[in-house]
Amino acid sequence: MKDGKKTNVIAFTVLLFLSALFLFPIYLVVMNSFKSRFNIVSEPFAFPDSETFVGLENYITGIESSGIIDALFRTVFITVGSVLAIVIFTSMTAWYITRVKNKYTKGIYYLFLFSMIVPFQMVMFTMTAVCIKLGLNNIFGIIPVYLGFGSGLSVFMFSGFIKSLPKEIEEAAMIDGCSPLKTFFVVVFPILKPTAITVAILNAMWIWNDFLLPYLLLGTNNKTLSVAIQITMQGAYGSINWGGFMAMLVLAIIPIIIFYMFCQKYIIKGVIDGAVKG
Amino acid sequence: MASISLKNIKKTYEDGVTVIENLNLEINDKEFVILVGPSGCGKSTTLRMIAGLEEISDGELYIGNRLVNNVSPKDRDIAMVFQSYALYPHMSVYKNMAFGLKNRKVPKDEIDKKVRAAAKTLEIEKYLNRKPRALSGGQRQRVALGRAMVREPSVFLLDEPLSNLDAKLRTEMRSRISMLHKELQTTFVYVTHDQTEAMTMGDRIVVMKDGVIMQNDTPQMLYNHPQNMFVAGFIGSPQMNFINCKILRKQDCFYASFNEYNIKLPMRMNEALSLYADKEVVLGVRPEDIYIEKEYFKGDLNNVIHLYVDIAEMTGANYYIYGSIADKKLIADISPNSKIIKDTVCNLAIDTDKIHIFDTVSEKLICD
Repeated sequence: MKDGKKTNVIAFTVLLFLSALFLFPIYLVVMNSFKSRFNIVSEPFAFPDSETFVGLENYITGIESSGIIDALFRTVFITVGSVLAIVIFTSMTAWYITRVKNKYTKGIYYLFLFSMIVPFQMVMFTMTAVCIKLGLNNIFGIIPVYLGFGSGLSVFMFSGFIKSLPKEIEEAAMIDGCSPLKTFFVVVFPILKPTAITVAILNAMWIWNDFLLPYLLLGTNNKTLSVAIQITMQGAYGSINWGGFMAMLVLAIIPIIIFYMFCQKYIIKGVIDGAVKG
Repeated sequence: MASISLKNIKKTYEDGVTVIENLNLEINDKEFVILVGPSGCGKSTTLRMIAGLEEISDGELYIGNRLVNNVSPKDRDIAMVFQSYALYPHMSVYKNMAFGLKNRKVPKDEIDKKVRAAAKTLEIEKYLNRKPRALSGGQRQRVALGRAMVREPSVFLLDEPLSNLDAKLRTEMRSRISMLHKELQTTFVYVTHDQTEAMTMGDRIVVMKDGVIMQNDTPQMLYNHPQNMFVAGFIGSPQMNFINCKILRKQDCFYASFNEYNIKLPMRMNEALSLYADKEVVLGVRPEDIYIEKEYFKGDLNNVIHLYVDIAEMTGANYYIYGSIADKKLIADISPNSKIIKDTVCNLAIDTDKIHIFDTVSEKLICD
């Protein structure tokens, strides 16, 4: 009993330290977003005082100069579109490859798994070239690209959950007069809801925060949030508006943090369902 | 209402394994037929082929006069109740039951009428707004039955619908399903591995083994006149005793001889046994056809065997004794008032009017 308590205390201390370590950069960003750009560079860790505190000035200049509002709408469009595409297409794919068992579906499943271990950096230049040739370098075209990148993990998670579903429910639907498409959307998909929410959250988070893919495909004309912040705040000759930069970072992470707070219980549940029942 | 006809049905899976070979079965309109057999005997596959959930590799399947080999499940006019209930977890009980009718574009008020009527019959009216997860096993099974009922199908297919229920509930549901059949006057095909369900519910029982029908008969006929050792052993609990013995002929009488015993066989068996004189056969006798009461000895002490009692089990209504005669094991179901205790030897008489003689090689019935 005593040993257990001791272990708990140690584990709590370690986790507290780790949490602080992960939260520290966010703390730095928030704190510096209220300081003048020169104070940020000279004293990055100092708390703003009466001399260095600039109020919302960084936020105002950041919003004015970065075009963050346009970027925000663009990012929302890309994130929502990509997440919807990922959830609908990967759940259907996972259902098919789980229920129709042959060497082809098995091969496709392993292909999806393989796609998870290929780093983006390995394919980014060739893929960018191909996408530009195919005319996918716009905010609509980037959605299928995200679908491709997000499908590996999503198919894996959906498959794990579908394997645990009794096939009889689908057979009952067939006898009750459903076509395969209706069976999927009316019977199977509602049952997949917890996993679908998890898949949506996980994908929404990385697509929202992604910098490299929109930078490569959309360039600086159709800036997403992360690209807008990085590009616009960078002045001439390597000068950076650190104040505006920090303020825009804070604005960019607020929506996704709120989204995560609302949905975090589903993430844990969905990941466990997929992993354990699979 | 419809009859079902399976003609030379064969089922071979993609990996080349054949589970059903040349199955022929006629199920009459309004009949309650039970498919029974051990796991892997092909009973569920047969039912699923009737439902259209498994493709038929060869042969013809008729529901009514219609060849349905290539007809999809929804167009076969069947309803199926699954072992796992297969209720839609995200729908309420009402929606579960109404789903099939809604898909068939039945008017809303008619759906409502049918669902409520079925719910009343099955006593699940107060659960109509509940989700399946808020119901007990027995209630879920009744919802599954209700879902099938409202469709008013020509054929009801039930795949081990009671095996997930506890013993008490199973007994209750057994009679409920029998009543339902009586009420609906529809063809029922019921798959089970439980011989009690088979014996108590069906008009006719089809006993299967390795994809082959071993016997297709009424419960009484299966019990009293099993056509082979498999059926004899499968139907009845505890199972029939099988004793390897030799047929001896003395003048006009035939005897089953084993160890030091010569059991005199009834004269009605003479003709059938005439080909088996001095040959090995298997004598089958049900535990309840072995007695300790003296009146069954029939004055012929040759029919008395001495059993060493290994275990004596009192279950209330029955008293089972498990014993051995040298190398042969024997189970007897004797009067519960008996005073026999284990590790003693008791005298038993076999009721020779109720014995069955099987061929050792083909395991088929010679006479009974």
